[in-house]
Amino acid sequence: MTRMPFPHLRRVLMCLVALASAFPAPGAHAQRLLVPMDDAQTNHLKAYGLTYNTMKAGVVAEWLLNYRGGSFLLPDAPETRRRAALDGISVELVSDASLATLRRELGGGNMESVPLEKAPRIAVYTPPDAQPWDDAVTLALKYAGIDFTPIYDTELERGDLSKYDWLHLHHEDFTGQFNKFHLGYRDAPWFRDMYAANSATARALGYPHIPALKKGAAERIRRFVEGGGFLFAMCGATETLELAIAAHSVDIAGQFNDGTPVDPEADARLDWKRAMAFRDAHLERSPFVNSMSDIDGHQVNVPGRRQPLGTFTLFSFSARIDPVPSMLVQGHRHVMNDWYGVTTSFNKSTLKPGVVVLATEEGAPWVKYIHGDYGKGTWTYLGGHDPEDPQHAIGNPPTDLSLHKSSPGYRLILNNVLFPAAKKKPLKT
Amino acid sequence: MPRDPAPYREYARVLIALGRPVLADSIVQRSRDVLGTAHDLSMETAQLRAAQGQWEASAVAWRRALAQSPYLASAAAHALAPTPVGTRDAVRRVLLAGRALGERRAVAELELGWGSPQDAWDALRIVAPDSGAASAWAEFGERALGEEQFAIARAALTASLAIRRTPELATRAADAALQAGVPSDVALLLPLAEVEGDPERLVRDYLPLHVAALSALGRPADASALVERYDRALTPGQRLRMSRALATAWVRTGDLARARAALGTAGDADSSEAAGWLALYEGRLGDARRLLRSSREPGPALASALGVVSRTRGDEGAALGAAFLALARSDSATAAARFVEAAERHPEARSALLLAAARIHGARGDEAGAVALWSRIVGTMGESPEAAESELEWARALRRRGDVRGAIARLEHLILGSPQSALLPQARRELEQARRSIPPP
Repeated sequence: MTRMPFPHLRRVLMCLVALASAFPAPGAHAQRLLVPMDDAQTNHLKAYGLTYNTMKAGVVAEWLLNYRGGSFLLPDAPETRRRAALDGISVELVSDASLATLRRELGGGNMESVPLEKAPRIAVYTPPDAQPWDDAVTLALKYAGIDFTPIYDTELERGDLSKYDWLHLHHEDFTGQFNKFHLGYRDAPWFRDMYAANSATARALGYPHIPALKKGAAERIRRFVEGGGFLFAMCGATETLELAIAAHSVDIAGQFNDGTPVDPEADARLDWKRAMAFRDAHLERSPFVNSMSDIDGHQVNVPGRRQPLGTFTLFSFSARIDPVPSMLVQGHRHVMNDWYGVTTSFNKSTLKPGVVVLATEEGAPWVKYIHGDYGKGTWTYLGGHDPEDPQHAIGNPPTDLSLHKSSPGYRLILNNVLFPAAKKKPLKT
Repeated sequence: MPRDPAPYREYARVLIALGRPVLADSIVQRSRDVLGTAHDLSMETAQLRAAQGQWEASAVAWRRALAQSPYLASAAAHALAPTPVGTRDAVRRVLLAGRALGERRAVAELELGWGSPQDAWDALRIVAPDSGAASAWAEFGERALGEEQFAIARAALTASLAIRRTPELATRAADAALQAGVPSDVALLLPLAEVEGDPERLVRDYLPLHVAALSALGRPADASALVERYDRALTPGQRLRMSRALATAWVRTGDLARARAALGTAGDADSSEAAGWLALYEGRLGDARRLLRSSREPGPALASALGVVSRTRGDEGAALGAAFLALARSDSATAAARFVEAAERHPEARSALLLAAARIHGARGDEAGAVALWSRIVGTMGESPEAAESELEWARALRRRGDVRGAIARLEHLILGSPQSALLPQARRELEQARRSIPPP
C-alpha cells in the first residue's frame, strides 16, 4: 500500500488552517457537539477516542487549538452521543448561532480550528506477547478505544511499516543491550525469556546477534520517517534509536550482547548526520554502568548521577503560525510534575539545531519533550516511562487509567495520535 | 576526636534532612575510610539509601541498625514504606532473613501499611515467645483491632495472652474473637472461674461478653441462665443492659414470646431496638419503623431492614414480618419466597422487596433465581431506584459465567438508561473491565 506523501507538513498545515477559517466547515448547517477539553471535561482521555472513532467512521472533526484546553468539534450524531454517554465524556450541544459566535471567538485570539480528516493507521513496535499495560502508549490507546496493530522485528523485516501512518516505540533498546538490565536481572525468568526470543528472531532473520537485529530495525524506522511517516517514541526507545542509527557502522554493544567489546573508538565513529534529533552525544561504554549515553539528563539507574524529578512547562505556540507544535502541546495543564524512565529527559547540549522544544524544565540543562522534521516525515520524543507512575520500577502494577481520566501527561501522548489526522489536501497554488 | 563517629553521623543526618542524599553518602563513605567501618552510621546509611530509592540496600542497612537498636523498628518501617511494589519482595527477603524482634516488628508495620495484615502477623508471630514478644503481639493486636482486622487481632491478642495473662488482655482478646466471628472462643479466653473472687469485674467485663457470645451461638437459654446466676451482683443499669441483650438473643432465634418477656423485664418493651425487631417480625410495621429508626447501634442488618421498611406504607405487614422472621431463623429459602410474596402485598415497595429476595438467592448461590428477579425489576420497574443495582448485579452474574458480551450489553443499558444513578461510576469501571480497556484487577 502506498502512503500519501506529506511534503513539508507544517507549511501545508499553516496554509490550510487559514483556508479552514475562510470556508464553512463541512456540515456547518447541522448541529454540532463540542467536546470541551478544559476542566469541564470529565474524561479527557476518552475524548480522544471519541474524536478518533468519529474520523474513522468517515466524518470530519475539528480540533479547536487553544480553545478551552484544545477542544474538539464533532457533528452531532446519535452514535457519537451514545458513545460519549457510555464513556462519561462531557459534550455540549452547539447550535448554528452559537457556532458562529464560537468561530468569531476563535478568530479573536491565539486559537485556530484544524480539520481532522482521516484517522491515522497506527502501529506499535512491541513484542508479540506484550500486554497493553506494559507501555504507556498502548495503555492510553486501549483505554481511549483507539485501535492499533502491534508489530515487531519480523513485521518490520517484511516491510509492513508501509501500511501505517504512525509508529510508536517505547521500551525497546535499539542498541540490542536490553537497557543493560543484565546487570541486575540476568537470572530473572522474564529477562531470560526475552533474550531467548530475540536471539531466535535474530537467527531466523539472518542476523548474527541481537544488536545487529535491532540496528536493522532502527534503520527501517529511520527510512519510515524519511519517507513521510510519523514517529512517536518515549522512554529508552528515543535515546537508543538515535544511538543505533548513528552507530550503523560501529560496534557499540557490550560483550554480553554480541560477544565482542565496544569499539574503543566508538564515540568518535558515531555518524550523527544520519540521526534525527541528537548530535555529539557520548556513549556510556562501561557494561557495569546502567546508562546508554549522556543524552539522558536524569540517569535514573546510575546512583551517583541520578537527578531528582522537577516540574516541566509546555511551551505556548502560535496556533496559526505553528499549528503542529500547537497540536502537540494542547492541554488543560501547562506545568506538570516530571516522571522517570530509562531515558527521562534530553540534554540540551545533545540536541541538533532545528529541533523544536515542546517542554522544558526551567533552569535545568535538559528538556522533556521535543519534535522535528526528518525527510518527508516527523518524529516526536517524550522522555520518561509512565506519566502517572513517576517512580516506575520493574514489577510495579500497571497504571489503571480509569483512575487518571484527565491525566495531562497522557494527553500529550494522545495529542500525538491525533496530530497525523490533521493531514490536508495539497494546495492548488 | 578523629575516631569519633558522632560528627559524621550528625553531619550525615543534617544532609539527609536537607534532601541531599548524595552528599550524605559521601560523608558515610568518608567515615568508613577514616573509622574503618560504617557500622556506627547504620541508621543514617539506611535512611539515605531509602532517600536514593535503593530500597534493598536500605533494608540491609536497617537490618544492621535494628540488630543494635531494636527500638528503631517504627523508624525503619516509616523509611521503607514508600518502597515500590516491585521491590517489596526484596525488602521482605532482607528483613525476614532473621527472627529478631526488631526486624520482625519493622516488617509487621510495613505489611500493615502495605495492606497485607495477614503477612504482617505471619512475620511477627514466629519470634521467640518471651515478654518482649508478648508486648509486641499485644500492641500489634490492638492496632489490628483498631483497623477492624478482627481475626488477626484475635490471633495476636490470644498469643500474647498465652505468655502474659491479665484480665484486661483476656477481655480484649475475647472481644476480638467475638468480632472476628468466633464466639466459641469467649468461654476459653474468659473463664468465669478466674474472676469469681471479683464479682464486680465479672459482671462488668466478663458477663456481657459471655452473653453476647451465647447469643451469637444461638443459645439464648444458656445466656438467660447465666444472667440469672449472677443477677444478685448486677446493678440496676447492668441488669437493664443484660435484659436487652437477652431480648436480642431471643429475637435472633425468632422466639418472639421469650423476646417479648425479656423486654418486659427490661421495662422497655416499647422503646429498644430489640423491640423494633420484634415489632417487625410480628408485622407491626408502624412500630418497627419508629423503634428501629431510634436505634443507637446501627449496623448493616438494621440498615437493610430500615431500607425496606421505610419504603412501605401502612402499619401492618404480616407477610413482610414473616420474611424477616424467616431470615432471623436462617431459613433463607423461606425468606426469599416470603419477600416475593410481600412484594405482591406492597406494590409501593415491590422493587425493594424483590431486590431483597434476589440478594438472598445470590447469597444462597441460586444465581438463576436471582437473575429472574433482577430481570423482572429491570424489565418492569426500570424507573425504580433498585433497577440500576439489579442490572449491575445481573451484569456481574453474566461476567462470572463468562458471558462478557451479555454483561457489556447490560452495563451499557444501565449507563444509558440510568444516567443519574449513583452506581454510574462503578458501572463504567466494570464496563472498562469487561471490555479489557484497563488492566485486570
